[in-house]
Amino acid sequence: MAITEAEVRHVAMLARLALTDEQVQHLARELSSILGHIDEIKALDLAGVEPTAHAFPVRNVMRPDEVRPGLPRDLALANAPEARDGAFVIPRIVGAEEGA
Amino acid sequence: MAKDRLAGVLERYEAVIGLEIHTELTSLNSKMFCGCPVAFGGEPNTRVCPVCLGMPGALPVPNEAAVEATVLAGLALDCEIARFSQFHRKNYFYPDMPKNYQISQYDLPFCTNGRLDVEVGEGDAAYVTRIGITRIHLEEDTGKMIHVGGAEGRIAGADFSLVDFNRAGTPLIELVTEPDIRTPEEARRFAQTLRTIFLALGISDCSMEEGSMRVDANVSIRPRGASEFGTKAEVKNMNSFKALHDALAYEIVRQADLLDSGGRVVQETRHWDAGAKRTSALRSKEEAHDYRYFPEPDMVPFEFTDEWIESVRAKLPELPAARRDRYVSDLGLPKQDARLIADDVALSRFFEAAVQAAGASRAKPVANWVLGELSAHLNATGAAVDECGVSPAMLAELVVLVDDGVISGKQAKEVFAEMVVTGEMPGAIVERKGMRQVSDEAAIEAAVRKVLDENPAEVSSYRAGKTGLVGWFVGQVMREMRGQANPAVVNEVVRRLLEQ
Repeated sequence: MAITEAEVRHVAMLARLALTDEQVQHLARELSSILGHIDEIKALDLAGVEPTAHAFPVRNVMRPDEVRPGLPRDLALANAPEARDGAFVIPRIVGAEEGA
Repeated sequence: MAKDRLAGVLERYEAVIGLEIHTELTSLNSKMFCGCPVAFGGEPNTRVCPVCLGMPGALPVPNEAAVEATVLAGLALDCEIARFSQFHRKNYFYPDMPKNYQISQYDLPFCTNGRLDVEVGEGDAAYVTRIGITRIHLEEDTGKMIHVGGAEGRIAGADFSLVDFNRAGTPLIELVTEPDIRTPEEARRFAQTLRTIFLALGISDCSMEEGSMRVDANVSIRPRGASEFGTKAEVKNMNSFKALHDALAYEIVRQADLLDSGGRVVQETRHWDAGAKRTSALRSKEEAHDYRYFPEPDMVPFEFTDEWIESVRAKLPELPAARRDRYVSDLGLPKQDARLIADDVALSRFFEAAVQAAGASRAKPVANWVLGELSAHLNATGAAVDECGVSPAMLAELVVLVDDGVISGKQAKEVFAEMVVTGEMPGAIVERKGMRQVSDEAAIEAAVRKVLDENPAEVSSYRAGKTGLVGWFVGQVMREMRGQANPAVVNEVVRRLLEQ
């Protein structure tokens, strides 16, 4: 199964990745070869094998409804490119969307 | 006004409405996948941790109580509960979502295929409509953004935005209905009825103003008699039941005008502006709705046994509709009064405790006091019924005092006003103020004779045919006796002596 360059551009847009034409060509080849491997797996006879999301037969892992200490705000904001009034600052959204 | 034209439009077109209702599980202590507290408001980013901030390597663990609350909601709405279920990642980019995916549920929601019978209209026009519930699933809420610059907090034109992740990760259930709703009023009644059920289950405070209950609607119209659906629009941003009704009425009329003028409805998301009373299209890229769902690899699936599901079912409280029916059949309350009390869990608890103290035969006067003076007091003070200063025992004693003829209804209102302030039992207030109602006929007759002797002109007028004066005489006697006389006895004695 081959991935087209148009598909690479679509996925890149969804993931908010800016790719050069060169990278698009490269990734189209690389993703196609990965899907090629999956085609090999698909050729196996897996009739009667349940789809598996997890390899371990573990179920119902939950936690009790209890409050635990979180992060102090200065630590939470420590790696933010910009912070103000205790909040993360993000650039204007609508304009950015239009330009994407 | 769209509302005024709705009835005319609905004669020619049928509206097809489905609702999508998000409800935060505000009664829980902690968030969906981490131990941060669930609360409203507060200083930005003070209830956050590596999990709800989506930091690399942080691992989510589902909150057991949130899973149970979702299944409880499903059972209350006659849903089938999944025996096998899991979380999925829903991928999209928005700055109020720290991970760039939301942990949600996709093809294996906890609850499917339920129903809710909704009563619409009053009196002879009342009818019941059954609304199918497609699914209820569990997910996490997003953070909140404050837009700075531009016009009044609107995203359009903002210079930049501030993000607060306090709400991010709050347990959120999403309920989707079948497109079974036909009018804005049915939609409003569905949402109101659902709210009373969730309140009865104690899983959320369901505040539309604070956003803990958020209703979106899909609406389309088709000519009466048509079987194919029309193109639908999704309407968002309705912050009250009235807004839900008005937005749907507007949208139905808008779509009818479009079709009538030869246009067509475009599938899009529209935003309700309560101030301008209109919906407008939100810009969105269709491509962006490619959510690329896949099973959440950080959490293992759920397998629910019949025993566990039955153990949750055993926790179902009495629901408002059943409680209302019981008040009507067992206590003889009028349906409307029964519903007003039964829809409110705390008021019901108060009412039932008061009826128990006063006796079931006095349920009607107890209900009248609860819906009358007590509700007025709650509205005036904004107090919750559990801490309003009046206990069920106090109200019950007051009702008994009136019923036994010890005090008049008028005196009872004075006692109520007094006990709200002092917290005394009504019997004690009656004693202390010497408020006992006088029913003794001899004492009343003496007072009546005095009033008649002092007002010979009025007596003559009465006897000449102005019988309407009887009320005036009763008033004079009541004043003479400082309001403590039994009005029924006074009335009877006044008439008897005037007729002599």
